[in-house]
Amino acid sequence: MTLNRRTVLKGGAALGAATLATPYLARAAAHANKEWILRGSIPLTGPFAQAGVDGLKNTQDWVEMKNASGGIAGKQVNLQYEDSGYNPTTSLANFKKTMSDDVKPHFYSGDSTGFMKLVQPELSRTPVLNGGTSFATDLADPANSPYQFITGPTYNAMAEINMKYIAQQGGKRVAFVYSDNEYGRDPIEHAKKIAAEQGLEVVHEEVTDLQGAEVQTHVAQVRRSNPDHIFIHGYVTSVWPQIIGTARAFGMDAKFVGTFWGMELVIARTVQEKLGDALDGYAGVMPYRYFYEAAESPAYQELAAFKTAKYGDEFPGYITTWSLQGLATLALLEKVFTDVTEADIEPTPENLSAALGKVQGWDSGGYFGLPVNVDDHAINQARVYQYSAEKSLFLPVSDTIEV
Amino acid sequence: MIIGNLKSNYAADEAILRSWPLRWGFWAAIAVALIAPQFMSGYQLYLTTQATVYLIALVGLNILTGYTGLVSLGHGAMVGVGAYTTAVLANTYGMPVFVTIPAAMLMTVAVGLLFGLPSLRIKGLYLTIATISASFIIVFVLETWESVTNGDSGITIPPANIFGIEIVSDQQKFYFILPFAIAAILFGQNLFRTRVGRAFIAIRDGELSAEIIGVNLMKYKLYSFAIASALAGLSGALFSYMFLAITPTLFELPISIQLLAALVIGGVASTLGPIFGAAFIVMVPEIVKGVLGLLSGGDMSWAEYTAPASTLVYGMLIIGFMLFESQGLVAIWRRFWRFVNLWPFRP
Repeated sequence: MTLNRRTVLKGGAALGAATLATPYLARAAAHANKEWILRGSIPLTGPFAQAGVDGLKNTQDWVEMKNASGGIAGKQVNLQYEDSGYNPTTSLANFKKTMSDDVKPHFYSGDSTGFMKLVQPELSRTPVLNGGTSFATDLADPANSPYQFITGPTYNAMAEINMKYIAQQGGKRVAFVYSDNEYGRDPIEHAKKIAAEQGLEVVHEEVTDLQGAEVQTHVAQVRRSNPDHIFIHGYVTSVWPQIIGTARAFGMDAKFVGTFWGMELVIARTVQEKLGDALDGYAGVMPYRYFYEAAESPAYQELAAFKTAKYGDEFPGYITTWSLQGLATLALLEKVFTDVTEADIEPTPENLSAALGKVQGWDSGGYFGLPVNVDDHAINQARVYQYSAEKSLFLPVSDTIEV
Repeated sequence: MIIGNLKSNYAADEAILRSWPLRWGFWAAIAVALIAPQFMSGYQLYLTTQATVYLIALVGLNILTGYTGLVSLGHGAMVGVGAYTTAVLANTYGMPVFVTIPAAMLMTVAVGLLFGLPSLRIKGLYLTIATISASFIIVFVLETWESVTNGDSGITIPPANIFGIEIVSDQQKFYFILPFAIAAILFGQNLFRTRVGRAFIAIRDGELSAEIIGVNLMKYKLYSFAIASALAGLSGALFSYMFLAITPTLFELPISIQLLAALVIGGVASTLGPIFGAAFIVMVPEIVKGVLGLLSGGDMSWAEYTAPASTLVYGMLIIGFMLFESQGLVAIWRRFWRFVNLWPFRP
């Protein structure tokens, strides 16, 4: 076939025509009364694709495991997620597509702080229980946003734990390094306030790009302020390891402290392979147990057994923290769905939201260190872990702290 | 076969829709736009409304870039100025839509003129870089002027209220925004039948020759920035009333790049180019995603492959159009109508 303008345009027309039929053919059948319908928008492309793909695989496995053992409260789980590219308006399009279906989901997962805010007005018109990857402080506000929740502490709470930890360690001068977006900036004002309360001096603030930051320039700026601790926040897979590695290469001995998305073992080990012991002593806030602490978590053991049976030797015995956040959300949903079923009430968005708000003293199966109380649609407990280069693991250096 | 457009009076010579296929086509398009929403899902309406909002911004960008030759990569930020002006006035001061929309346009004109001033001294790539800087500055202000913009938390906007009717549903939003889009297109078309529009074209085709024939470059370049900004402001105001929640991230550089790409894909310096461009950037990624979803049978285990493939196919489509239809989608449209006009003979 000759590739010319006509063939290209005909191909384009055929593609468009095929798509007209898509909405009527490609949807998986869903039955609201017989299934728990979970829908979501997840970054399978874009800056957080690595975390998104990993999270999706583990979410699928969890659903498969639950369905194999009879589902949740007697109903099977029906899961469909779409790619967002980490673009809030794309996520909103995905949300609108889902909510246009005759059968509405029981839960919709969002993938960014931007989307979670953009969808708030829509939730008042087409309500659905809505959680996701963001720990943004504004989302833990049931009075204004009754359907949204966070499965963990807010970024403010994480920053607060970090500032208190620095003060406990005898820190005096702290620098902030964070990404130039709403996720990066979210806890900064609160962190400054807590730092002041703890007697810490904020000696410098360095704002970087989310990706592709000119790390050496940023680190040089931070070094001039001579901090003893550096609070780093607002990244996922890149920038934060390079900043710590470069700081060590520049001879800085300041201690770094981070938040959830900067606490992944896979990244830490990759850094260690390339940069040696640069991350040794790096500490940060982690709401969930690491998967290698499965001995203390029946839920982890159950999932590990399922994945070992399914994948055999291909299962490395470890699940990333990125995925654990999604899995903890699923476990919390299981609790809410079960509560609603046992109370014999309709699983409407209003009832599910009310049931979520009543969760107190829940045994999460080991995801969290303490019994879980959902207060203001967040779970404000976490533990400080520190990276040990010797053991190539993040090890706990505090008890579980409730904020 | 139409063998010519015969005109017997001055009004016919001045008409925008000069032949019966164009007249019928125009009214048919209006009829479809009015009736189709009755049969569309919320998702389809969302995409259509979003494309309509972008269309208004694109008409403005077309005037600035397509007709005046001033390439801007700050247009998305101008949309942000309009969106935030509306949001602040509606949310903080409870202003009605009849006040917020004109105010958004005026504010964006003021900001647009400010950032248009460099165009008097620089042009080409240098001007483009200046508009990128404008984009960064505007977004920085939106992020950091917390007392007004609420910073990264963004602003929630009360729905537009027209004579007691709250514009809340997807259909209402579309019908609310559609007249503005039609007005913008007609305005764009008419502008180039005036002295101002012809001055823009003269500037684009050669600044020196334009100046020699008496075009005041400073005045008309600023006019162009002002008109483009006003339409960006209108687009931004409607953006606010469509989404009802905005954050600064929505108006960062990628949206400006997307708007410029849409204009090039749709067809620069043509009335219909913005319509095709807006439809392309909003609809095509969803179409590609839908087709690949169809091919995978909706099986989630394929998602990690179909998602990047969608991005790849979308990118290749853009490259394909640039290679095989460099005049934009509007060129296909023109060929189609040439075919209709000359049928049964081949053009």
